[in-house]
Amino acid sequence: MAFMPKIGMVLGLLGLLLPWWVSIDGLSSEGARTLGVFIFAAIFWMTEPVPIYATSLLVILLQVFTLSSAGFFQSETGGTLPPYGSFYASLASPIIVLFLGGFSLASAAVKVGLDLNLTRWLLRPFGQAPSAILFGLMLATAMLSAFMSNTATTAMMMTVILPMVSVLDKTDPFRKALALSVPFAANLGGIATPIGTPPNAIALAALNQLGVKISFTTWMLLAVPLVVVMLLICWQVLLKLFPPQSKTVSLKLDGKFATHHAALLTYLIFGGTVLLWVTEKLHGIPSSMVAFLPVALLPALNVLQKKEIRNFPWEVLWLVAGGISLGVSLKENGVADWMLTRVSMDALGPVGAMMGFCLLGYIVANLVSNTVSASILIPLVIGFASGIQMAEADLTRNVVLIGIIVSFSMTLPISTPPNAIGMSSGLIDTKDMMKAGLIVGLVGGLMLIACALFYWPLFL
Amino acid sequence: MAVWKDEFMNQICILCVDDEPEVLEAIERDLRVFDDIFPVELAASAEEARKICSTIDGREDRLGVIVCDHLMPGETGVELLASLDVIPGAESARKVLLTGQAGHEDTIEAINRAGLDYYISKPWKGEHLQEVVRKLLTQYVLDQSSDPMSFMSVLDAGMIADAIHKKGMASDF
Repeated sequence: MAFMPKIGMVLGLLGLLLPWWVSIDGLSSEGARTLGVFIFAAIFWMTEPVPIYATSLLVILLQVFTLSSAGFFQSETGGTLPPYGSFYASLASPIIVLFLGGFSLASAAVKVGLDLNLTRWLLRPFGQAPSAILFGLMLATAMLSAFMSNTATTAMMMTVILPMVSVLDKTDPFRKALALSVPFAANLGGIATPIGTPPNAIALAALNQLGVKISFTTWMLLAVPLVVVMLLICWQVLLKLFPPQSKTVSLKLDGKFATHHAALLTYLIFGGTVLLWVTEKLHGIPSSMVAFLPVALLPALNVLQKKEIRNFPWEVLWLVAGGISLGVSLKENGVADWMLTRVSMDALGPVGAMMGFCLLGYIVANLVSNTVSASILIPLVIGFASGIQMAEADLTRNVVLIGIIVSFSMTLPISTPPNAIGMSSGLIDTKDMMKAGLIVGLVGGLMLIACALFYWPLFL
Repeated sequence: MAVWKDEFMNQICILCVDDEPEVLEAIERDLRVFDDIFPVELAASAEEARKICSTIDGREDRLGVIVCDHLMPGETGVELLASLDVIPGAESARKVLLTGQAGHEDTIEAINRAGLDYYISKPWKGEHLQEVVRKLLTQYVLDQSSDPMSFMSVLDAGMIADAIHKKGMASDF
């Protein structure tokens, strides 16, 4: 085992056991155990002595045995601990079902080639000029990654750009622009909808626990303008840094939409579900209810079979569920409040503290998984908010802010899986990614804060 | 994303077997592009090839592709290829027969009994051999490696990206 996971293993386990040795001032014993689980989760998630989804499952296990009413310990304060079922419930919480709906749609789309054909169709109007094609690619990537996995979208788009790259001159900087455009657009596109990327789920689940519901439509109203502006900025940054040398780029866009039975059903269900999602505000049917339509209908109509269902990225759901279940204990046992009384942030004021959290989120998410960053930081933000008695609307905005800021981290190959794929293509150097990623990320962060302060109050 | 990758990952090797030193040298030259990532091992006979296989297995590496001549003193190439399935570390290796002297019968034998993946006749073009080995290595890592993505820059990037997309090989976190 490498150095960091080893250290992480030791520190994480120490953190977990801490409450048994040290009595912590201001915390009940269940509060202390919760703190232990939180420290364990944070360190294990960040240093990865075990895979991060396994850490999430351990978090659920630990809570079931040490923090539920049927567990080994009773509540010290005389209250009742949550039943163990409430921790398992995180595995099938509405937000998880929403993602499951996304997985079903994506799996069917891949099976019938909808995503690839949609990409080709979207790219046709963009002609052959390199700069126009670059924007077309970014737009198509972002639109798909808003509804499908960022990683899968990036991989698919790589198969579209690699043939283009191979006919370009080896010294043409535009090759780098192409190889960076896809992962960056995928990272940005994930912000656009609640199911775009797992950190969005973490933010929405945390808000759910606070009793705040944000509709699919509202999220898109908050996020889509930001994504569009950032796509334009990112496009210009890439063109400036890596200007195309050739006048035209050839793009093979043949391929027809499949018209067999399963394909037609997929188009119908995909279109219908997405339509119901984005119009949630008009009809009022919650997106998590709509999400079960594809989950149930696609297998019922035999579009998805055992093979595809087994191939769902279940570990993503587990990862998110671990974060959600941790929220249950943190909220019940007053740990969040306690944390904030230890850390004096009053001097910063609410806006200053939020900028601090944003910066922290940005930095951490560049180094570890975005989902993990959101899972660790959002409980801290909620704790801080209750510490200073922040207004509910401010809190909501701040939670969404953290959920989104992590998606702007795209400086390093390890920052996000799409970045890793872009880097693996061998077309770019780390310093290219760092330069472009830093500009896009920092501008994005500032735009996001501006949105949160001046634009979001229109909706939240 | 794993930040701290295991530094001691097992390597996937390429093994070239030919009794003529000049030929072996030529194959080695053609496949040198892979050597950084996929160590290229050379053997002058089937017997030596087996020894190398056991060293590869001994250091917990695996054999990804074997490029083998047919007519050699002692054991023939086809016999060697047919027996790879039971050699530890070489069970899943992709097999290329590179030969000028294999007769009709030998070729049939190679396909049916040794499960040959590719047949190249001598004289061969370096680029062709490279292309074949690249394809087969790509297939091998897609089948056998837990992290095919890391090989994208040296192997067939399109094939790997396609597999990541279709099989959902990379997680979204």
